[in-house]
Amino acid sequence: MPENLGLTKVTKQTELMSGKDSSEMTSNSIKLLAGNSHPELAELISKRLGIPLCKVGVYQYSNKETSVTIGESIRDEDVYIIQTGIGQEEINDFLMELLILIHACKTASARRITAVIPNFPYARQDRKDKSRAPITAKLVANLLETAGCDNVITMDLHASQIQGFFHIPVDNLYAEPSFLNYMKLKVDLDNAILVSPDAGGAKRVASLADKMDLNFALIHKERQKANEVSRMVLVGDVTGKTCLLIDDMADTCGTLVKACDTLLEHGAKEVLAIVTHGIFSGDAREKLSNSRLTKIVCSNTVPVELDLPVVDQVDISPTLAEAIRRLHNGESVSYLFNYAPPV
Amino acid sequence: MSNNIVIFGGDSHPELVAKICENLDIKPSQVELGKFSNGETSISVRSSVREKDVYVIQSGCGHVNDTFMQLMILISACKSASASRVTAVLPYFCYSRQPDIPYTAKGAPLVSKPRGSNTSTPVNNKSASTVPISNLPNSNQINNVGLQSTNTVKRPGEDFPFKSLDSAIRSTIHMESPTPVREPKLVKTGSMSRIPMIPGGKVSTKVNNDAEELFNAQNSGYKLWVVQAGTLIANLLTTAGADHVITMDLHDRQFCGFFDIPVDNLYCKPMSQNYIQHYIPDYGDAVIVSPDAGGAKRATAIADSLELSVAIIHKERRSQLLKGPPDATLTSGVPLSSKPLISHHNNQPVIKRSNSNSSISSTGSNSKFIQTTMLVGDVRNKVCILIDDLIDTSYTITRAAQLLKDQGATKVYALATHGVFSGDALDRIKLSPIDKIIVSNTIPQDRTIKKLGKSRVGIIDVSLVFAEAIRRIHNGESISMLFEYGF
Repeated sequence: MPENLGLTKVTKQTELMSGKDSSEMTSNSIKLLAGNSHPELAELISKRLGIPLCKVGVYQYSNKETSVTIGESIRDEDVYIIQTGIGQEEINDFLMELLILIHACKTASARRITAVIPNFPYARQDRKDKSRAPITAKLVANLLETAGCDNVITMDLHASQIQGFFHIPVDNLYAEPSFLNYMKLKVDLDNAILVSPDAGGAKRVASLADKMDLNFALIHKERQKANEVSRMVLVGDVTGKTCLLIDDMADTCGTLVKACDTLLEHGAKEVLAIVTHGIFSGDAREKLSNSRLTKIVCSNTVPVELDLPVVDQVDISPTLAEAIRRLHNGESVSYLFNYAPPV
Repeated sequence: MSNNIVIFGGDSHPELVAKICENLDIKPSQVELGKFSNGETSISVRSSVREKDVYVIQSGCGHVNDTFMQLMILISACKSASASRVTAVLPYFCYSRQPDIPYTAKGAPLVSKPRGSNTSTPVNNKSASTVPISNLPNSNQINNVGLQSTNTVKRPGEDFPFKSLDSAIRSTIHMESPTPVREPKLVKTGSMSRIPMIPGGKVSTKVNNDAEELFNAQNSGYKLWVVQAGTLIANLLTTAGADHVITMDLHDRQFCGFFDIPVDNLYCKPMSQNYIQHYIPDYGDAVIVSPDAGGAKRATAIADSLELSVAIIHKERRSQLLKGPPDATLTSGVPLSSKPLISHHNNQPVIKRSNSNSSISSTGSNSKFIQTTMLVGDVRNKVCILIDDLIDTSYTITRAAQLLKDQGATKVYALATHGVFSGDALDRIKLSPIDKIIVSNTIPQDRTIKKLGKSRVGIIDVSLVFAEAIRRIHNGESISMLFEYGF
């Protein structure tokens, strides 16, 4: 009897506790933080979610060290940090910003920290292609984890194996559904053919071609040095067709321009390029303005400064916003692999 | 030198790398450093590092994040190429100086305060609300708690800072208990009751809420949250694969504690002393001056070994809103004045408040801060040697030099280990009354010499110390004699 009395008291106590606890749970909400790499995208995501961006100050001291100030409480919140990998001069600055932001949230007792990295930096340095070459993508993955990242959302990783570099969940989203919507609107798909500019992308293009019920061709390129292409061989028939070159990124655009030339030589009617990450570094501008590409369509995973008429942009912020919402609510993200949320 | 050692240099300070290698009588190994067209750092290690003892030298200067990433990529490249040990040599450790904590209207850093109150108030509350659970004595009365079991109760009870429950238990102790097993369970509820405490704690941290309201009213949130990147940087280096770190004159000595790997923090002090003795004429009559209270220890250490007197400049940022006449700030300076008294010079420390140096700083957006500077010690007609660990924006050092000249110093030397000279620091120094600036070559100083002229700049070469440290670490010898004598 006395023991019973003690027990009931205990359960009452726990009831009280759980009641308080659940009310604490509901107060947990999404906090959006943005680095300096792509404020427009962060703004779009924030608008889409209807959640204002957190007040964060990301500064650079005169000695070029990065300093971060968190302007509001993020204790026990679900934090999403939006930072993309871009910038010929600042790519490392942005990476450090991201790491310090993550670390800041960790020390500020955020419940969960998700890095939203639309364009994963160093994604192309993902293998030891020669002796003693650094696998920097792996290093970046480790750094993110060390900083205290709990989750990563990214888009069209150069190699999806990079997900395996992490010990934390990585959601690799696709820009493809958004591009599909664009193509349905703007391209005459009846006479189109999908083209992969290299053998590596063949699988992805083939699956897309299946989905769209289109034919696909392949260009084999022989690369001797990074960012330089020597010879191209076309596999498939493109005569009189509208060619859609599909790739995950356009950097110096050497590949795309050469592929375009190859396709036109083989009798293609017109050539459009569709790339997820429009980095456009080096002399991309020059190459593109002199190229015979009808259009180059890229997403806004990175800010595109080129104001050429040939460049078109597709907004992928709805996909990212939806992924954030789903992640926060614990819903499945796989719907987004096939469908883009309506703009 | 054995052929088992490999030295790589980053692109931040090739001259120092060359000098260190020269002292070690080996050649730096081939590494190609560059960038891809998209800005990503590219590295290709040209010579084999398998089972080698690798040293990567990279100073944290220039475009800091670039050099730091380069260092990390280089370390990870060596590590993944089967190097037996990778040592990061950072003559100047970037991010070692944590940014200043912003001040509240009350003149005190708020960053730690709410947290402190947060943790302290729940404790108090805990006592308040755990008392009701003193159904404990009730159950005890029924249970007849045994004397023996009380000891087990008491031990966890000691964590709770309240005596009432403890004494309550003790008072009921005289009863007898059937099982001691029961007791710990009851104690457990006591500790679990911490959870309902949290909302209580929130209520009681009204100070915090008030502060937040205050800052919200000023459209600034509670923005006084500056991230301390120290731990992160340490962890990043470890993650990249560094097994050992060699650096010099870390701004915070505690920084070593952020690492889980050994950190050898070398000192520039022996070389600085050496420089003073050999290159500063009549150094015996000079006064060592610390430009801020934080560097007092550093300055007194050098002064003690050279048997020179010390003066300290104390800088204070105080809110204008703070009540009290100027005398009040003076009294706050009094405990400081005891420091020069410790130094073996009899001259009574003179506290001078230079009101001319009081200025309203424009950095504080929400309230006006007044900057007061006072000098503790006598510098009239003396040669002053300002000692600091690093010169960055040079505001502190130039202001200190001006103050010293105002107080009648004949010559002002500024000696620092790391000359970062960011922004327009060099212009400021050029215009300042500093007669000679002496820095080590942990950071390239070509720009400094170019700007200030050769006669106004003194360079302390630290390559020998680093070379000797590398040699000793490679051979597994002690490096502690480097701390004392330098090289």
